[in-house]
Amino acid sequence: MSPIHDQGYRHYLGEREPHGRAWWVIARSHIVTAMQHRGFRFILLVAWAPFVVRAVQIYVASTNLPVAEFIATTPETFRDFLAQQRLFVFLVTIGQAGLIADDRRTNALQLYLSKPLTRVEYILGKLVPPLAYVLAVTLVPALLLLLLQIVFAGSLAFLRANLFLLPAITLFSIIQALLSAFAILALSSLSKSRRFVSIMYAGVIFFTAAMYQALRGITNSRTWAVISPGEMLDVIANAIFRARAVSPVPVYVAILVVFVIIALSIVILERRIRAVEVVA
Amino acid sequence: MRGAWRVFELSLGEMLWSRRTVFLAIVVGCPVLIAAVIRIVDSLGVVPLRINGQRMDFTAIFGVMIWVLFLRFIVPVLGVFYGTSLIADEVEDKTITYLFTRPIRRSAVLIGKYIAYMVCTTLVVLPGVMLVYFLIVPFNQVAASFSMLITDLALLAVGLAAYGGLFALVGTVMKRPLVVGLVFAFGWEQFALIMPGYVRRFTLMYYIQSLVPHAMPAEGVASLLQAFFTETPSTLTCLVSLAGAIAVSLALAGRVVERREYVLDQ
Amino acid sequence: MQTPALSERSESNGPMITTEHLSKWYGQVSGLNDVTVTVPPGITGLLGPNGAGKSTFMKLVTGQLKPSKGVVRILGEPIWGNPALFHRIGFCPEQDSFYERMTGLGWVTALVTLNGLEPDAATAAAKRGLEAVDLLDAADKKIGAYSKGMRQRVKMAQALAHDPDVLILDEPLSGMDPLMRRRTIRLIREWGRSGKSVLVSSHILHEIESMTSNILLINNGRILAEGNVHQIRELIDTHPHSVFIRAQNTKALARALLVEDGVISMKFEAGAVVVETARPDAFYARLTDMAASGEAGVIDEVTSPDDNLQAVFKYLVKQ
Repeated sequence: MSPIHDQGYRHYLGEREPHGRAWWVIARSHIVTAMQHRGFRFILLVAWAPFVVRAVQIYVASTNLPVAEFIATTPETFRDFLAQQRLFVFLVTIGQAGLIADDRRTNALQLYLSKPLTRVEYILGKLVPPLAYVLAVTLVPALLLLLLQIVFAGSLAFLRANLFLLPAITLFSIIQALLSAFAILALSSLSKSRRFVSIMYAGVIFFTAAMYQALRGITNSRTWAVISPGEMLDVIANAIFRARAVSPVPVYVAILVVFVIIALSIVILERRIRAVEVVA
Repeated sequence: MRGAWRVFELSLGEMLWSRRTVFLAIVVGCPVLIAAVIRIVDSLGVVPLRINGQRMDFTAIFGVMIWVLFLRFIVPVLGVFYGTSLIADEVEDKTITYLFTRPIRRSAVLIGKYIAYMVCTTLVVLPGVMLVYFLIVPFNQVAASFSMLITDLALLAVGLAAYGGLFALVGTVMKRPLVVGLVFAFGWEQFALIMPGYVRRFTLMYYIQSLVPHAMPAEGVASLLQAFFTETPSTLTCLVSLAGAIAVSLALAGRVVERREYVLDQ
Repeated sequence: MQTPALSERSESNGPMITTEHLSKWYGQVSGLNDVTVTVPPGITGLLGPNGAGKSTFMKLVTGQLKPSKGVVRILGEPIWGNPALFHRIGFCPEQDSFYERMTGLGWVTALVTLNGLEPDAATAAAKRGLEAVDLLDAADKKIGAYSKGMRQRVKMAQALAHDPDVLILDEPLSGMDPLMRRRTIRLIREWGRSGKSVLVSSHILHEIESMTSNILLINNGRILAEGNVHQIRELIDTHPHSVFIRAQNTKALARALLVEDGVISMKFEAGAVVVETARPDAFYARLTDMAASGEAGVIDEVTSPDDNLQAVFKYLVKQ
């Protein structure tokens, strides 16, 4: 072997990850980058403040204090907690507005798709971060609250009496996370400006809510809730947590609305995530 | 002021034909669509709009739409979306260099863009309101309620000016002005309005809603609480307070812009 | 807002730009470090590699950034917070950003209007500016449809349309094809001859060399050298001077030169000898004698690859 080493370009001879794992590389880099922003970390931290309040409530309810019976833990406690987290779901989702918009602005999309990864892997890699953050402020604290209930009560009685809670919390959190993640991803693919994507997302959320309020005020009917994704999530939550239905909209309609939004988002993503721009 | 006027002339065209305005025109178009549907449904007589057996008063419907859609939603949202972006858009597009290397004070650039925002948003919103009015209110009731329409139009313009000025300041000071603006408009203001005492005076909606000629629709606990705590300041007080808020916001925003360094992404 | 009439402007024979202990920090990172320079009237090239501090210097000089320390003056006045000075300054920024929806003429006219010209005068000035950069034919096309070179030219048009005294051009040749580069270089030289002061920044040495011999060399946020490139070269006397000699009999030439004082090293190339000497003047005198006498054979060519910007830059940057 020659003592003089070749300083020229060398091909990588080490192990390569099998195909199909590129999505994790994309997702991990986004998660790491987002966590480096102080503001985002602050929002994630503040998002757990309601958890602390609820944890104290569950603790007090488990004691023999006179006030305990008034704040007893019920399935509605978890349903209400997840409803309260809606603000933080909005804030962490809107923080992901640049997921695809930034790539389009910097022409990185073409770079990504010139690598040996499919469009599905790219979309999956972009989907995981908003999913993860939304679940971090919904599913994780809600399950922890359930665990705290068991720990403070010192028995599994509550869980045995409400066995549906575990799948209910999981299912509702996943539905909410999927809806938010697909929506922000689809909007992000429509623009090169993350600020404009934020505006569109906030506009759609607030506008549909305002339209529902206006139509309800005019017609005195809650049926118009179908135009508001937030109201549809409430309908689904009431059904999953076996709470009293407030809206006359059937749960299957609510599920259909959510499904249509996700399907529309997928269609938009399929059309927008391309390696080349097709100029007619 | 001439410099500000020239910036206005340059910015108006850009603002009017931007994607943001097209998107918001669609948003403002939805109430018009609702109004058209109400008109068609009523004129066909297919499903009369009634509540508890009573035929609906169309001026009341118009009032609800003004209150719920335009005043409580569209005006603050336009203020947030445009006001926070007056300078930020130019920085993001990297065209701010051309404006700040002209013999015009930076604050004049801000004022020029603010005036363009006012013209742009009033051109988008006010015709929409008029369309809604003429679609909903029957012709024989127009004469009686026309003054209410004029008041509403003026009120919406004042609201746009107030929110635009405030969020212009937020946009120049904050790094994430959009989120701060939304939290202020749909968080703080909703909360402060149901608080007793002086707290509600630290909102713009307190003064704007005091100028509204329509009765507030009862839409929930928050509205009921607001109605319970309402003591309405005089029209003069409201106008002076709003004018003061606009002037102070724009003055502070101008000061910030004069002193701030804008480092563009390479 | 009145544009000062040409007759009212004071003739600027003084320095175009002066900085005194100018420094700029971005948090903990130093962008520019204690820069004291005087940029005279005429054409000056600002040279440095990427990350040297050229952009920071340009932004300080055009009032986009406030100095952390020190002062920067244009035409004798501080630039920060002094927008009136921009009547006399034209700036062509590096970034490729426009109001894409507007036509070239519309955009330049709108910007010139901001300089205080009335609409008709602004349109006329815009057309003159576009004509100067050979873009009048495409003036009514949207900027979004322009090629990279056209976009660069329309940027230059907006910088000079209002007839400023000082032109500050940040990488003006970027994206231009070779023909357009040559024309732009010629244009810049013409502006210099017409009395305008021009500061041009670039990292491409031969472009600056073809425009001017008056340079500012910058690296790591510090000014390495300023002035005439040849004078700078002469001052770098610790660095040996290279001389390239093409000759018929290179071996004989080498033997004759080897005994000369001041010859530090020699290298053979195809049909030539490259000599490094610490005493260039004495060496050239001896070489002339040798060529005249023919003692070392026929000498066909003598050049100094060292007496150019590239060598000066390479040497100073490596220091």
